[in-house]
Amino acid sequence: MDQESNEEQTLASNLQALSVSDPLSNQFNSLNDLCYEISSLQDLASRGSWRSILDKVSRARKLSLLRKPHEHLIYLSYNVLALTKLRKFEDAAEELDSLEDFDSAQYKYDSYPDHYPNRSGSMVPFALRWLHAEIPHKLGKRQVTLDRLYTLLDFVRTKLKDRGSKSMDVSVEQWKKREAFLVNSISCHHLSHKEFQVCLTLLQSLYNIDSPDPVLMSKLGYIQMQLGDLDGSKASFNQVESLMKEGNSGALLDEVEFKNLVSRNKALMYLVGKDYISAVREYDECMERDPSDVVAINNKALCLMYSRDLSDSIKVLESALERVPTVALNETLVVNLCSMYELAYVNHADIKKTLSNWIARVAPDDFDSSCTRV
Amino acid sequence: MSSTPPGPHSLAFRVMRLCRPSFHVDSPLRVDPLDLFTGEDFFDDPVAASQLPILFPQNGNTKTGEPDLTYHNRFELQSPIDAMGLSGLLVLPQAFGAIYLGEAFCTYISINNSSNFEVRDVIIKAEIQTERQRLMLLDTTKAPVESIRSGGRYDFIVEHDVKELGAHTLVCTALYSDGDGERKYLPQFFKFIVANPLSVRTKVRSVKESTFLEACIENHTKSNLFMDQVEFEPAQHWSIAILNADEHSSEINCRTREIFKPPILIRAGGGIHNYLYQLRSSSAQMKSDRSNILGKLQITWRTNLGEPGRLQTQQILGSPIVRQDIELQILDIPSLTVVERPFLVHLNLKNQTGGNRGPFEVWLSQGDPHEEKAIIVNGVQKLVLAQVEAFSSTDFQLNLIATRLGVQKITGIMVLDMSEKKTYNPLLDLEIFVDSD
Repeated sequence: MDQESNEEQTLASNLQALSVSDPLSNQFNSLNDLCYEISSLQDLASRGSWRSILDKVSRARKLSLLRKPHEHLIYLSYNVLALTKLRKFEDAAEELDSLEDFDSAQYKYDSYPDHYPNRSGSMVPFALRWLHAEIPHKLGKRQVTLDRLYTLLDFVRTKLKDRGSKSMDVSVEQWKKREAFLVNSISCHHLSHKEFQVCLTLLQSLYNIDSPDPVLMSKLGYIQMQLGDLDGSKASFNQVESLMKEGNSGALLDEVEFKNLVSRNKALMYLVGKDYISAVREYDECMERDPSDVVAINNKALCLMYSRDLSDSIKVLESALERVPTVALNETLVVNLCSMYELAYVNHADIKKTLSNWIARVAPDDFDSSCTRV
Repeated sequence: MSSTPPGPHSLAFRVMRLCRPSFHVDSPLRVDPLDLFTGEDFFDDPVAASQLPILFPQNGNTKTGEPDLTYHNRFELQSPIDAMGLSGLLVLPQAFGAIYLGEAFCTYISINNSSNFEVRDVIIKAEIQTERQRLMLLDTTKAPVESIRSGGRYDFIVEHDVKELGAHTLVCTALYSDGDGERKYLPQFFKFIVANPLSVRTKVRSVKESTFLEACIENHTKSNLFMDQVEFEPAQHWSIAILNADEHSSEINCRTREIFKPPILIRAGGGIHNYLYQLRSSSAQMKSDRSNILGKLQITWRTNLGEPGRLQTQQILGSPIVRQDIELQILDIPSLTVVERPFLVHLNLKNQTGGNRGPFEVWLSQGDPHEEKAIIVNGVQKLVLAQVEAFSSTDFQLNLIATRLGVQKITGIMVLDMSEKKTYNPLLDLEIFVDSD
């Protein structure tokens, strides 16, 4: 497996040259070369089969199928993620407690020159650091999570600074993504606690006036709308629309996605102005362009309900669950549907039970079925 | 969201308060798979860096146009911004919540026929009852609902601007003919309490020609309140200008300042925000008016998705300005005063009344008889001024001398209107510095 040639010593700047010229230096033919049966774990995760992941990890450990240090860490990461997804937070915390400090020599490639002759640095998967930061909040210790997230952000920024001067483009790119990911995670925490002003400051730090991001501008609009600043959200949405007219998405969105984003933003403005008919019209256009635009579907249903059309609002949500279950089945949509059932039916327990049973058959392991309030 | 038990009734009311929905926010627990199955420093290795992105294309999955049959969107991030957990999905209000004065109470009312028979000729009424009044919001007496089939429903939405504090009751009634043709009456009651959302404290201060009004708004609600509009409506003869703090220098040069301008948001449960206004009165009002109504504060706030609330304060009074008949003003005073050297003070006497006044006598009162004043009149102790016409003024000089060094006060300038036999002490003390020779 680990056949290396002398060519690997040179810095590879030309992707073409490398893959064509020397097949022997091609370490990774498939994902599984990275780690034992990782593609199977990936597949299970995509299906939401988190319980199967727990089984697989447990089996691999029992039968000692993992040979290399990094494989243990990766399997542990999937395990912690699975436990978190299944809301087994105490167990996830226990797994994390079994580890040494992340920066210890035990988790560095350099400590195992036989396994990793040309690699140096930390083998800790970044997601593990992030999970370690998020878990305390799930156990009721919000402040610990915030402290850890901000510290982690600092850690990422230091890594970026160290790599800035060297030509490590892919690495830098990945660290930049991690930085943005953390800023957004932190914003989420502040948003859930309605600490809006902090969010606006964080968003401002992400915003690049020279290459404006329409998705970011839209999120800004949603936050402004949530706190009641309708003029502010209108201005933000206008900016997004201008970007679309200029054809400027910074390659973040394709044409349909961009059109739908602008339409959905328009619909929101109609909604707050109580013009539900126009809002529904915008959402219908979205659904025609993309039948699995679940935000449009969900919000259209709400507009129908606010227009006194409870029956049709229920139909829209039920039809979506039937048509595109893997996109439509999310806890928010189900909460809305159940609220509608509770209003529409005196004996709503029956219909909610039917829904609940269907969900149990179709939903991924991590679906929080308490949202049906059955 | 309460309802009476079914009992013998075929119909039942289901009620849901319809305040505006909210954006759903939740940490989505999605990661970049690369951050899961590679070590964080993995891409420092140039070989790895070049290989992996080909092996695992980031955007391959969703853009093929084929329906996505996995739940990978619950696991994988499409982009870092997904981690904000603000997808744009709206969620219905999940609780009745608190209601405050100035808000609009909006509710979805559904009347359901849960029996096996059709009901006919349904007269539906919805009414808000408070201590003081009863307001009919809906009444189908003139056009009764002909029928509601078994399992059927009739829906309506009612809205009411809340203008009273305290206990309110939404009374929903249905008068209908059931399956046996019997006329039945179903009343249902939904109670709620209206509380006060804000309190406004004001302070008024007069400085020379301007009056300053400081208004402090305190938020008693459970939500942060966005101050959409806070406007002071001045009373007649007053003009108003709002005084805002200067921007921090770091903000002025910031290119994204307009986009990310911080909103005026008053924190829930006791947060405050202050407003400062400068009022000027037009001169016509000043001379005649004794009462001092400055105006009212109009407040419009918004909560989630722009849910509005509106309140107006009572009339705000300024401190009454007592306009003196006679006004004295110092026009000029020497910049340097030397002890025991006479100096001149130029003064102006204004007649604020509508009739001729005077002649006047002007002198410096002795004050404390045991202590000689530091500044006294040099020469004739009483100065006589001729009559001054209505709304007119006259200039004159006082010849003074200082007997002591240091900071001293010119005090006790008295004016006697000899015709009206009225004495005025219209000038505040003035401090000057008396130097040595």
